[in-house]
Amino acid sequence: MTVLPWRFLAIAVLVPVLLVIAAAMVGANVGGGVERTLIVFFINLAAVAGMGLYCGNSGILSFGHLSFMGIAAYTSAILSLPVAMKNMTLPNLPPVLAAIHLDFVLALLVAIAFSMLVAYVAGLVIARLEGAAATIATLALLIIVHGVIIGARDITRGSQSFFGVPRETDIWVAAAVCAVALVIVRLFRDSVPGLKLRAAREDLIAAKANGIGVKHERMLAWVLSAGLVALAGVALGHFLGAFSPKKFYFHDTFALLAMLIVGGMTTMTGAVVGAVSITLVSEILRRLEGGIDLFGYQLPEVFGTTQIGIGLIILLVMFRRSDGLAGLDEWDERLLPWLFRRKMPEGDDAPKLAATKNEDTLVADTVTKRFAGLIAVDKVSLSLAPGEIVGLIGPNGSGKTTLLNLISGVLPATSGVVTKGDTVITDMPAHRIAGLGIARTFQNIRLFRTLSVRQNVLAAALNAWPKRSVAEAEAASAAALDWMGIADKAESKANTLSYGDQRRVEIARALALEPDFLFLDEPAAGMNREETDALMETLRKLRDTLGLGLLVVDHDLPLIVRLCDRVVVLNEGKLIAEGAPGDVQKNPDVITAYLGRKRQDDIAA
Amino acid sequence: MELFLQQTVNAVALGGTYALLALGLAIVFSVMGMINFAHGELMTISGYTLMYCGIAGVPFVISVPLAILAAILAAVLMERIAFRPVRNASGATMLVTSFAVATILQILFQNLIATRSKPVALPEGLAQSVAFGDFLIGVNKLAAIGATIVMLIFLNWFLKRTSVGIAMRAAAEDFPVARLMGVRANAVIAGAFALSGLLAGVASVLWVSQRASVDPLMGFVPVLKAFIASILGGLGSLTGAVAGGFLLGFIEIYSTAFLPESLQEFKEPIGLAVVVLVLLWRPNGLIPSANFGTEKV
Repeated sequence: MTVLPWRFLAIAVLVPVLLVIAAAMVGANVGGGVERTLIVFFINLAAVAGMGLYCGNSGILSFGHLSFMGIAAYTSAILSLPVAMKNMTLPNLPPVLAAIHLDFVLALLVAIAFSMLVAYVAGLVIARLEGAAATIATLALLIIVHGVIIGARDITRGSQSFFGVPRETDIWVAAAVCAVALVIVRLFRDSVPGLKLRAAREDLIAAKANGIGVKHERMLAWVLSAGLVALAGVALGHFLGAFSPKKFYFHDTFALLAMLIVGGMTTMTGAVVGAVSITLVSEILRRLEGGIDLFGYQLPEVFGTTQIGIGLIILLVMFRRSDGLAGLDEWDERLLPWLFRRKMPEGDDAPKLAATKNEDTLVADTVTKRFAGLIAVDKVSLSLAPGEIVGLIGPNGSGKTTLLNLISGVLPATSGVVTKGDTVITDMPAHRIAGLGIARTFQNIRLFRTLSVRQNVLAAALNAWPKRSVAEAEAASAAALDWMGIADKAESKANTLSYGDQRRVEIARALALEPDFLFLDEPAAGMNREETDALMETLRKLRDTLGLGLLVVDHDLPLIVRLCDRVVVLNEGKLIAEGAPGDVQKNPDVITAYLGRKRQDDIAA
Repeated sequence: MELFLQQTVNAVALGGTYALLALGLAIVFSVMGMINFAHGELMTISGYTLMYCGIAGVPFVISVPLAILAAILAAVLMERIAFRPVRNASGATMLVTSFAVATILQILFQNLIATRSKPVALPEGLAQSVAFGDFLIGVNKLAAIGATIVMLIFLNWFLKRTSVGIAMRAAAEDFPVARLMGVRANAVIAGAFALSGLLAGVASVLWVSQRASVDPLMGFVPVLKAFIASILGGLGSLTGAVAGGFLLGFIEIYSTAFLPESLQEFKEPIGLAVVVLVLLWRPNGLIPSANFGTEKV
């Protein structure tokens, strides 16, 4: 399922495929060295694009992908080697493997499936780690697989060359492998899981709080990208005919990563640009390396010119354009933006947000949060009914935001129970809580910065429960944007918007989940008086028209008093007052907390 | 029992070297969020300095501090030339930059010095052994253990008692706030690199004194192990790096010593599999960094 119109994606995908076919035709006609170079280029590009599918969309760099290339190359080689040949070169092969002889396509499919299975198992570990730790874990994966391939001497001939692999990969096979990889990578970017994964790359906490089950999306991308890299690995094995474990280790990992990074790892365009530029540069440098006659002057042979040259290029690109040569956008997004403007029905047919049918009350019962020695929230109980606006106030550091984080599942509570109706949500992961209809915004805006406003909101809308179709989610996003008055900015990148608009996008994103309850953490921060008034009007309408229960944290006391049906006051993690806004304002404990004891005595005197 | 004790000494010596390397990585990571792939090349530079000093007939007592100094200088220069321009970029950008630096340096070593490994002249005393009752310990092993202990004590003192050290710890907690308090970013980052260079230099001297040779890729394998040690311990956590380094040393030495012959071939994958199991049990490492997961929301 994709989140862009098909006619747009068809063009986005067709053009690179045609380019690959054109290049293959040139290669097939010229033949010789050019054809070989092109075959290697196609295989490399397929592998780079496959690595980009995971690294680019998840934002986690992987060093481990070549292990899947290796696993696939060995698997398919062993399966497709003629039996007589196997008896000769691999006398100790387990009988099951020794007797088997599959044709190329079948061997390829089995090899890919097996690699994806290994990827799934490895993914169970890697998915538990974040950022740099995950990257280093992929490094460990590469070393483990390399070690196992060398150690399993009876099957792989150890560190010696594995030879006699049927040479099935001609330029058309390589081109087909490359085209398949490019198409899948491009489509995945704008698929439902692809969009969610990119949102999580931009802001993990916001992604979870908007219902994205990040681990699940990451695993999917990891296994899929392993499959593509495995495809490239099979093609490589049947092109070379002979290879050793060294082929799937650090040297080639770095070569492919260089392509990915120089081009820009977040896009298919980047993979193509990177593979083309590094291949061109290394072809040129390789000729220089052998010493070349330049205008009658004999340049000396310098060993390693190619690698130093590529190293310097990487440094240059990182210094000048750290997102890579192709940047963050696909070529089609850059050149054909008009093609994917989507028209939503207007006037009476315009999509609307549905009023909530929820009748359950949200109850936090004596929740506590300790950070080491500090008790940030101390046995606070709180309830929020549908159609009610509750204000949560207190001095700085009184635990307001922490309480929001506990109820929305962003932080685990040390003790206490949170329920929505009969459902206990205390130990649920944040994304499940969001799916149950509890949406929120953040104190320091957390948008998916490089995604468009429409994508920001859609990434959340897709997670509403019960599950809905992409079209329904798109309608809900349009309605949410409309509600917040920012529909005209739908195609702008979130990080280009003004502060006030970013706040509005955040609320629209939460609304697109069509939640029952909405938590707003300092929604009016940084807004002027008119903007604040407009916001209050919007919030009241949310309560009156959609029936939402709102929990609003703010420092702006007049705003809270005018807006809220009920106010809860926290001080030093404890609940010190609760009631109608007017009563709470007069409560002596509240005055002490806000103004201090002495000042209050002055007023009394 | 004797074999076990012997291997334990080996494990402590090896683990100590890993711990020093992992500490160097962790210090840089905690201050600027960068995994420095070129850390191994600092080791190599230090190793070559030892080699050249030996050829020039410089006494070992002088060539050791020179070798360590070379690593410190190289680390500071590396930061100044290559890493400063990408300081505020993403972790992936910094990692790739450092990897490019590492590649360039390796090729330079191969071109300018030698592609093969070169012998390093070491004082004869290092190769001898000391008898403790029944069993013998190599002087180089003792030196490695001693040097590790001294370095750990020094580092603890430096980070807790000196103003630069305290500034570095503050920067590791919250860099923007540290700067607002008047901590100079350039000084802290240069200091972190100098410290990581110092640790790499010491580790290099220990490494070379076990092997008596250097080659252009010398730093690659130990630093790879140090990477793994640093996530095993908890990325960015200094105590974690030490714990991870020692644990990895133990896993490696014991698996070499006690795995049956038929599994020897798999000792590296098996060792790493143990690491993976530890990570499954504690995904954030043995001793996670204190500010792990306390991102303000």
